[in-house]
Amino acid sequence: MNYDASLWLIFILIGLATTLPRASFIVLGNRVALPSVLQRALRYAPAAALAAIVMPDVLVVAGSVDLLNPKLVAAGAAVAAAALWRNPWLPFIAGMAVLHGLRLLGG
Amino acid sequence: MPSSFRTGAREGFIAFLPLSVGLVPWALVMGMAMASAGFSPLQAMGMNIIVFAGTAQLGTLPLIAAEAPLWLILATALALNLRFVIFSAAIAPGFRGVSAPARWLAGHVLTDGVFAVCLDKMLKVDDPKWRLAYYLAPALWAWVLWQVFALIGIFAAGFIPKQWSLEFMATVALIVLLVPMARVRPMLIAALVGGISATLLRNMPLRLGVVVAICAGIGAGFAAEHWEHGRKVQP
Repeated sequence: MNYDASLWLIFILIGLATTLPRASFIVLGNRVALPSVLQRALRYAPAAALAAIVMPDVLVVAGSVDLLNPKLVAAGAAVAAAALWRNPWLPFIAGMAVLHGLRLLGG
Repeated sequence: MPSSFRTGAREGFIAFLPLSVGLVPWALVMGMAMASAGFSPLQAMGMNIIVFAGTAQLGTLPLIAAEAPLWLILATALALNLRFVIFSAAIAPGFRGVSAPARWLAGHVLTDGVFAVCLDKMLKVDDPKWRLAYYLAPALWAWVLWQVFALIGIFAAGFIPKQWSLEFMATVALIVLLVPMARVRPMLIAALVGGISATLLRNMPLRLGVVVAICAGIGAGFAAEHWEHGRKVQP
């Protein structure tokens, strides 16, 4: 597939749609302040956001929730490895090994 | 160079270093995904440098490849990036006393991992130079890793069989970020509510379900914190 020069315009616009939300409050600083209650609440944003991206990815297969799919079991192995040991590579090894092991068993 | 800048940079870098390992597979996967969408190495690196956001890049890639209308690509990118408005607001007090150009740079390189690692000390430490360095050192290190390993991924894409499911490494990278946070109970509740809501709301248009789910998760975590706090205060 070939793309024309408009691809660069798309990149720049996605870049703006990324940098402006990121810079918003950091650049505005003291001129706009969020109430401290809201700030404490916002500490939960990263955990909620990461889970909101990960969980549908491992729970949903072909449009419906599947609690026995290989990706979910592999994700469980990665969670266990991350929770039990500090080695940062282990979750990757555990997750990939379980994913491929189950696929081999499942044919 | 004042020494508080240097000690801040060193501490920030050390705090982020173990976590930054998780960026390596992410960036490799990103490079491979862009190459398999048909981008030339120059186009792929162009996107990687201009956008510098794994989730927004991965989320818009299928739309670009399918020649979707520009408004849909941008709306998807914005929906995926709305969480950064929340992160930006939360970490903003950590940039008091920092110049405007440095704030723009800090905004451009704000990522989930750097936010998660830096937030606490950014709000507690007084010295602005220390704070800026504590933030920028890991943020720029993440930028370098992201570019180098995406470039490797772009060229490696041709050599790795599809059945290896390397894209699953991106999911594991997110799990590695999430697990240490979820050790505190309100955080765990925020993550569970956010994740389950996103799963249930996955058919909302433009992936807006992700934004709604994040708000639900934040609300649940905050409510859990209040409930726990209230229980401790009353004998």
